[in-house]
Amino acid sequence: MNDSVLIVGGGIAGIQASIDLANMGFQVYLVEKSPSIGGRMAQLDKTFPTNDCAMCILAPKMIECYRHKNVKVLSYSEIAEVNGQLGNFQVKVLRKSRYIDETKCTGCGECAEKCPVVVKSEFEEGKGTRKAIYKPFAQAIPNLYVIAKRGTPPCKAACPAGVDAQGYVALISQGKFKEALELVRRRNPLPAVCGRVCTHPCETECNRGKLDQPIAIAALKRFVADYEVSMGTEDVTPVPRTKEEKIAVIGSGPAGLTVASDLVKMGYGVTVFEAMPQPGGMLSWGIPEYRLPKKALQTEIAGIQKLGVEIKLNSPVGKDGLTIDDLWEQGYKATFIGVGAQASMKLDVPGEELEGVYHGISFLRDVNLGEEVKVGKHVAIVGGGNVAIDAARTAHRLGAKEVFIVYRRSREEMPASEEEIEEAEHEGIKIHYLAAPVKILGKNGKVAGMECIRMELGEPDASGRRRPVPVKGSEFVIDADMIIPAIGQTSDLAFLPKKSQFQVSRRGTFEVDPISLATNVPGVFAGGDVVSGPATVVEAIAAGKRAALSIDCYLRGVPLPPEEEPLPTVKIEDIDTKDSERKNRVAMPTVPLKKRAHGFTEVNLGLSQEMAVEEAKRCLDCGICSWCRECEKACQAKAINHEMKEQYLDLNVGAIVLAIGLDLYDVSGLTEYGYGRIPNVITAMEYERLTSASGPTAGVLRRATDGKIPTNIAFIQCVGSRDFKNNPYCSSVCCMHATKEAILAYEHHPGTKSTIFYMDLRAVGKRFQEYVDRATKEYNVTYIRGRPGKIDANSNGNPIIWYEDTITGETKTFETEMVILCQALIPSRGIRELAGILGIKLDEHSFVEIPDKLWRPLDTTRPGVLACGYVHSPRDIPDSVAQASGTAARAAEVIAGGV
Amino acid sequence: MTLEDAVKETKAYYCLECGKCSGLCPVSRYNPAYSPRVMVEDALLGLEDDLVHNRQLFSCLTCYACSPKCPADVDYPLFMQKSRALAAKDGQQGDCAHSGVLQSLMRLMASPNLKQKRLEWLSNGHRTSDQSNVLYFVGCAPYFDPIFEDTGVKSLDVARDSLKILNSLGIAPKVLPNERCCGHDLLWTGDTENFRRLAELNAAAIKEAGVKKIIFSCAECYRTFKKDYPNYVKIDCELQHISEFLSEKIEKGELSFKEIKKKLTYHDPCRLGRHLGIYEPPRRVIESIPGIELVEMKDNRAESLCCGTSAFTNCDSCSKQIRVERLLQAKATGAESIITCCPKCQIHFRCAMVNKGEVKGPDVEIEVVDLVSLVAQALGGKSSE
Repeated sequence: MNDSVLIVGGGIAGIQASIDLANMGFQVYLVEKSPSIGGRMAQLDKTFPTNDCAMCILAPKMIECYRHKNVKVLSYSEIAEVNGQLGNFQVKVLRKSRYIDETKCTGCGECAEKCPVVVKSEFEEGKGTRKAIYKPFAQAIPNLYVIAKRGTPPCKAACPAGVDAQGYVALISQGKFKEALELVRRRNPLPAVCGRVCTHPCETECNRGKLDQPIAIAALKRFVADYEVSMGTEDVTPVPRTKEEKIAVIGSGPAGLTVASDLVKMGYGVTVFEAMPQPGGMLSWGIPEYRLPKKALQTEIAGIQKLGVEIKLNSPVGKDGLTIDDLWEQGYKATFIGVGAQASMKLDVPGEELEGVYHGISFLRDVNLGEEVKVGKHVAIVGGGNVAIDAARTAHRLGAKEVFIVYRRSREEMPASEEEIEEAEHEGIKIHYLAAPVKILGKNGKVAGMECIRMELGEPDASGRRRPVPVKGSEFVIDADMIIPAIGQTSDLAFLPKKSQFQVSRRGTFEVDPISLATNVPGVFAGGDVVSGPATVVEAIAAGKRAALSIDCYLRGVPLPPEEEPLPTVKIEDIDTKDSERKNRVAMPTVPLKKRAHGFTEVNLGLSQEMAVEEAKRCLDCGICSWCRECEKACQAKAINHEMKEQYLDLNVGAIVLAIGLDLYDVSGLTEYGYGRIPNVITAMEYERLTSASGPTAGVLRRATDGKIPTNIAFIQCVGSRDFKNNPYCSSVCCMHATKEAILAYEHHPGTKSTIFYMDLRAVGKRFQEYVDRATKEYNVTYIRGRPGKIDANSNGNPIIWYEDTITGETKTFETEMVILCQALIPSRGIRELAGILGIKLDEHSFVEIPDKLWRPLDTTRPGVLACGYVHSPRDIPDSVAQASGTAARAAEVIAGGV
Repeated sequence: MTLEDAVKETKAYYCLECGKCSGLCPVSRYNPAYSPRVMVEDALLGLEDDLVHNRQLFSCLTCYACSPKCPADVDYPLFMQKSRALAAKDGQQGDCAHSGVLQSLMRLMASPNLKQKRLEWLSNGHRTSDQSNVLYFVGCAPYFDPIFEDTGVKSLDVARDSLKILNSLGIAPKVLPNERCCGHDLLWTGDTENFRRLAELNAAAIKEAGVKKIIFSCAECYRTFKKDYPNYVKIDCELQHISEFLSEKIEKGELSFKEIKKKLTYHDPCRLGRHLGIYEPPRRVIESIPGIELVEMKDNRAESLCCGTSAFTNCDSCSKQIRVERLLQAKATGAESIITCCPKCQIHFRCAMVNKGEVKGPDVEIEVVDLVSLVAQALGGKSSE
């Protein structure tokens, strides 16, 4: 026989059983699923019929239990598996991850001070709040914090670079702009750039978008980046060089800049070789000024340079002059190629050589480099991507009379960002869908028009978009004197020596290992558009992050660590959104249309501080914890571990005691009583928290509607209990519970009149009847026999109770200031699953089935598994405690071989 | 049938005597002497004599507000139906409104040899067909108009508009020249004998007509055919309320409406709502009309308030107060009209507006329109032609 006992449930019954058994010399394991022991009793203000402070009785017991040398409290843990039999059970316990090292946390609470995520407190029955990192209540045992994580927020999951979007949104909502920017920069060195031009897959996936509109994540990122500049608080400290090796980066686009800044932060030396006279690659000369001002870009790049990255401009690496091979000789130990995709694809139609055909990328580059570019009067752009839109809006700004876009598919398939398309249309650019050029018409060697053909959409192609098919005989001519093809880009690999040993794909991109981004040449890595083909800025940044990690491992000669498995992505259904007010996103201020046409000033003006905070507050906190890592910074004990994993613990015990207690029945289904609809109708447990000195209102009961302290309140008994359609049984404690609460109301606010509507008053306990008598005589409590039929509210917010006084037989109304519903108490919600694991039977109401009620009243259907407290049958605290002691004795008996 | 049978069948013996029924009964609200709990208590105490002679026995609206909320799941309205049958055997009856003319008419129709001129209201514009598989069950609307002339009610419009709608969907239904009252009111006031006769006559006529489907525009006829006839006769047809029928057609895209710019509220008739659980089809129909804004009254769907009188019995000041309360709820929504699916709800609401009593009550004037008339209007052309 094993001399250990497992107690499941750390409420007052579980605590009492643990102490008793421990005092008898048994080793006790107390498993509690929540972060603290104490159970429901901890939520109560007072206990009946003595009106003792519940916590004053409970807390010493909690401490005694926790500190007992024979008790091992396993909080925040659940039973996963039970095998064996009486005398020798093998139990697997799931120790959920607190994300906090229990051996280090001191319970000081500095972390919660800093945590930006505020959610409803379960302990306060939703009437108070707590942080994402929290301790459920002041006296919690063990005195440890816990981080609530619901999963990976969809914004973070969708971001190729894995930026903690919920984190910086949460920080912005608390006005912590500096911290927010720091957090962005952990995963993205270009917040000002991405805040402006990112295609923001985070917003597409944002759960808020399923309610009204997604959070303006990109705009918020831009805000914190701009805020830093506007405050003049850019504070870049150069990273000290700690490693001897230096790395060459070819190309200063987003991929190259990311690799460079990450490696410099690791202590390496990095030189970036840039062919052009300005750094930034496509960011600098591919994206028009009105979308991404040069100043913002150069400020951001200057910050990266200040970290210690050296950028050599006008320094092409290629077959003439400096070659890749030369880099080895110059002492570079690794090379990253991030030259992007800069060659425009050809239309391949007759007339493409005519004067007036200007390819999209060259057009944008020449404009961006400040060269004089003449646009025609009627400019036709061919293509549907962001380059096409950029070219169109640029041509419009350069004075073209008419600008239109010809795109071969429909709007739905258009790859350009929705807001870019909208802005273009807004500025007067027309888009001809389902049309494709056949021939460019010329006159005297110059463009004179374009012959197009109508298309229709056929079956989906490899990209999943429906393939456009020409409609025979539908050719038509459009008038144009300038054609800008913008149908895609390829990489220009001309810089590679003729007999290069690099493996290059048929599309003209580097072949690399998808995980490490290593090319076939040792020490040479590649990423960004030159590998993926034309893609987004944030994808290039993601590639840069990956390459930096990979290069570091390569140089240290260690294998690339496996990627962390993220928590499952949070879905909208996982979040309780019923209290979220519907509210659209804050609109981004823009330059008025009139002022845009002939200038390149930035169109989007950015959010103000107030707008940013307001917008950030819309966040639904999908993950609960936002991974902002402020707690890590605050914790002196270094106890925080966001990557902590859950664990299993194996136990061997001789007997098991089930004491998981009760849950509160959801009374919103009893619509006649108006819970959830009438603000001044609350539940008894909510009332308990609102009158508790340690509760969210410090014990002052106020009405939700007007903050008034009610002096006339009513309690309704049997809400959801003694009801065939809900719970047919009597919950056993409500008559006394309501009496106690009515007495407390009077004590808190003398003169308060309480009315208790009951079916029949069950005062079956020691001194209970005296308690009721005292309530009526000394505490202004009236009992009315009758179960109310309906509760309405009048214009003052006062609930009106419709009822029949079943003693007089009269039907009446009763106006009061607040109604407290004594909701049914049900066996703890996890009981079904747990009973399955324990292999015990439950009765039809989910209480534990006791086969021999008379002679073995604490034994369940499985020998060696005992039950006590509310989960055994409805009962009050003293009964639960007495029963727990009984169970402890019975456990000792069965372990000793008694039957 | 004995009182004991009634108690058993309605599970009245489970009554906890908690009084919740009285607490939410709309009649008890205005007539404190009426308590459903006490009625059941009398039965449980075996006080049959007290029960059948209780003047309040016929006050229950059988609106089913109580039963779904009863903690003991007692079917109180059914208990009333059974108790009234016992009372009727004892020669008791409620106070018949309108001098009992409606009850006389119903019993008159129970006579097998009755010859009716029932289809006089049909005009050239209406298409009906003896060959059709679909029967339109008209109900008592043709008789109501002359009786309730003073209220300005036009219940025949409901029949005409129903035909117009069916016609516009390409259906020329059959209508029975010898249709009888469905018997709803007789059943609920305890006259089971005449109810049986009416049910049998209707069943025979329907069998002879050989139709496969019956469409109803009256919520009471529909409830009676669906829930009560199966206890007496066999009707081998698919039964559908016109709101369900229209809702299906709208879903399939077979109906389109012209715009009606109006703010409306919908009153759930007890028989369609709580008796049969049909809350959404009428709302779907209303909302599919472009331009309409549907607003809900404080009490709606399962919580809806009854129009205040059932079976033209015990219509008293309490009924009037319930009606006024309901109309005030409708007015509070800011709606221009109140839509309903039961001709009796319409009659009662109009009555409350016409007969304001000696003391001038609150302003309860609001247009009352049957769902089918609204739909007919949205189909274009003039309503009720």
